[in-house]
Amino acid sequence: MENLITALGLINNYEVFIAICIGSFAGIIFGAIPGLTYSMALALMLPFTFTMQPVTGISLLLATYIGGMTGGSISAILIGIPGTPSAAATVSDGYSLSKKGDASIALGTAVIVSTIGGLISLSLMIVMVDFISKFAIKFGPAEIFMLVLFGFSTICGLAEKSLFRGLVAGLLGLMLMTIGTDEIEGVQRFTFGNVQMLQGVNLLVAMIGLFAVPHILEVFNSRICDEDQKNYDIDVVKTKLPSFALLKKYFNLMLRCVGLGTSIGAIPGSGGPIAAFLAYSHAKNSEKDLKEKELYGKGHLGGVIAPETANNAVTGGAMVPLLSLGIPGDPATAIILGGLLIHGLVPGPMLFIENAPQVYSIYLAILLAYIVVFLFQVNFIKHIVKILRVKPHHLAVGILIMVVVGSYAIRNSFLDVNVMIIMGLIGYFFNRIRLPVTPIVLGLVLGRTIEQEYRTAMSLSAGDPSIFFGSIVCVLFFMLIILTIALQVRKRVIDVRNQKKLKEVNQA
Amino acid sequence: MALIKGGKMKIVKKIGSLIAGISLFAMTISTHAFAKFPEKTVEMTILFGGTAKSVGQLVAKGLEKNLGGTVVPVSRTGGGGAVGYKYIQSRPASGHDIVWNSNSVSTSHYKGKTKFNYKAFEPISAMTTEVPVLAVKSGTFNSVKELAAYVKKNPGKLKVGISGKGSFTHLTSAIVFDALGGKVTYIPYGKGKAPAELLAGRIDAAVQWPGQFRSFHKAGQLKMLAVTSPNRIPSDSNIPTMQELGYKKVDVVMWRGLAAKKGTPKAQIKALEKAAAAYANSSEFKAASKKIGFTINYLNAKDFGKKIAKDDKKIKKLMNKLGLAKK
Repeated sequence: MENLITALGLINNYEVFIAICIGSFAGIIFGAIPGLTYSMALALMLPFTFTMQPVTGISLLLATYIGGMTGGSISAILIGIPGTPSAAATVSDGYSLSKKGDASIALGTAVIVSTIGGLISLSLMIVMVDFISKFAIKFGPAEIFMLVLFGFSTICGLAEKSLFRGLVAGLLGLMLMTIGTDEIEGVQRFTFGNVQMLQGVNLLVAMIGLFAVPHILEVFNSRICDEDQKNYDIDVVKTKLPSFALLKKYFNLMLRCVGLGTSIGAIPGSGGPIAAFLAYSHAKNSEKDLKEKELYGKGHLGGVIAPETANNAVTGGAMVPLLSLGIPGDPATAIILGGLLIHGLVPGPMLFIENAPQVYSIYLAILLAYIVVFLFQVNFIKHIVKILRVKPHHLAVGILIMVVVGSYAIRNSFLDVNVMIIMGLIGYFFNRIRLPVTPIVLGLVLGRTIEQEYRTAMSLSAGDPSIFFGSIVCVLFFMLIILTIALQVRKRVIDVRNQKKLKEVNQA
Repeated sequence: MALIKGGKMKIVKKIGSLIAGISLFAMTISTHAFAKFPEKTVEMTILFGGTAKSVGQLVAKGLEKNLGGTVVPVSRTGGGGAVGYKYIQSRPASGHDIVWNSNSVSTSHYKGKTKFNYKAFEPISAMTTEVPVLAVKSGTFNSVKELAAYVKKNPGKLKVGISGKGSFTHLTSAIVFDALGGKVTYIPYGKGKAPAELLAGRIDAAVQWPGQFRSFHKAGQLKMLAVTSPNRIPSDSNIPTMQELGYKKVDVVMWRGLAAKKGTPKAQIKALEKAAAAYANSSEFKAASKKIGFTINYLNAKDFGKKIAKDDKKIKKLMNKLGLAKK
């Protein structure tokens, strides 16, 4: 309690408040624009924090992180291009809702559930940091491997029409991930002797290419082929926010996704995208009503709520390995870690003893940042949805510029611009032959972890695969994987049987 | 009288301004002769994330202050430093492209990632050293001696965590356990996970940066046994060195410093060296070293060059021995 009061004193300062406002705003903008990412915003902010007071500097970084995590859904919903990898799972339903004219409902929901998800996970983390960090330590390479494998089984949920098509795309993602330096043996793979290729395929670059380029090509294609078509019905764009009753219906789902997001965030080495994908597949699979279930992928609000709640719940969870173990879950938290170190806040058990007031002020900063981000976004929605009134081909030119600049800026590497273009063409080709692209992102997100944890586990056990069944956690995940696959196969078999029957009836 | 005085004053003023004008003119000539440096923004390539990046960003800011021009840190990570080194090699040797380098110039070369070696670079100055520390979980081994006895008795049984094969922590671990006289099994895991893996007991020992362990050491959960430098490090002066404990051969530190492409004019190197020296001695940098946990170890261009060459030989030998070098 004493610490909390000291922390309140530290944070009750106009500088901190301004820092949080600037951070939230920059985060939202960078998160919302495809091609710019909030990791980039964080990297740009970091040098400014060197000269600030510790609490001010860290508040700036945290607000940027949180703004970005929520901002990523804006472009995912409005134009079908995720602003951050964590928003990739939101695209299919969010964008479909937007096409139906419900952009503001989808966005409003995303903002509200993001805030709820973030705040609940923050409180969970404050109360249970000791417990959660003990739980997180239990996750060794074998356990993380099984978790990620379970994440991969959600491919079944993402493959809209055919499991086979989903697997093709997912495997392509896995294969692309192997390009570059192998971090375990330190050897080069598929680089063809090119030093630039050592960098490998960056997840963000691939994602920008896969979602943005086909969108741009599609827009120009339809404009050239169909000159005088009316591109967009302006009246369709509403600015209505979701009602309380609508949200109440999904309250249970939200709670489950908060739990999921917080625990995944707490496990070192996993992050927002995995949580979002798992939550999406959970929402779809737990839907009892068959008619409702059919709607997933075609614009179901649950398909926005689940991933958005979960990826923001990750922010609270991710603070556990970050503060108590010094392990960043993703590039964004790695930059925050840099900020902590520069101000002499060394993660570990002593942080909570020696720097308790600062830790509490970090909690308060997150709380304040969520409130600011929420207020910003709720007022923002009315204006941002108007972007849909811009003619698609005008918008596409802007996106084109942003994606080229953005893919270069991620690692200051021109290789990435080329990779973005190639990935874009793959994405366009996939759209044409009706292969889903989201599983490619899933493959890229999970691939590195799946491979490294597998190999580390195997070297821990000296080549004995029984390590993957060596703990309760492992066995639990194994059963979940089997269950997911079995349910999917059963569903497909029933579908095929029904279709056959339908054919026979028609023929008869 | 007053009028005359005023006129005289005017003349004096005019002469004064004339002299000032001439000297200014002369100055522009002289600076032209030596070419103004920096003419444009100096780009400092940073090869890694984590502390390397944080410290690099600070150094860039410090250089900016003392150089009288903009210095921008730009991350070009990947391939264990190879991507950034290659970038520098692709730029003109004008001193406007410098790199925040480290021992990785040797490791990436012997791994076969870069065709050029340290000789392709012009040393500017060494800035910092970071010293790896050997740590175990509290209650397992109380001293290096106990660890050595266990390793000798049970060859290949001790699991030692490293960041990846051929990484600096791998090389350091190899030197340490070679000195202890026993075989161990190396487990490569993700960066920064050492404390968690040790706490959970999945690995038995790890050689990593002290910053990762310090908090756990203080809390009594992990134990730092020894540092690998010849002298104790200021941030953790209670931890003995391997040499103190009788392992005279162990002398490994990670240095970081500044370098430019070979062929960069002497004057540019001198200007950068001067700016680096000024920042290395500043109270600002000293404060940062305490907070982040690195040691300031400034060397001028000449001494830095010698150090790089000496280390290169050592790394080459070691990597060949470990079978890591690409033939």
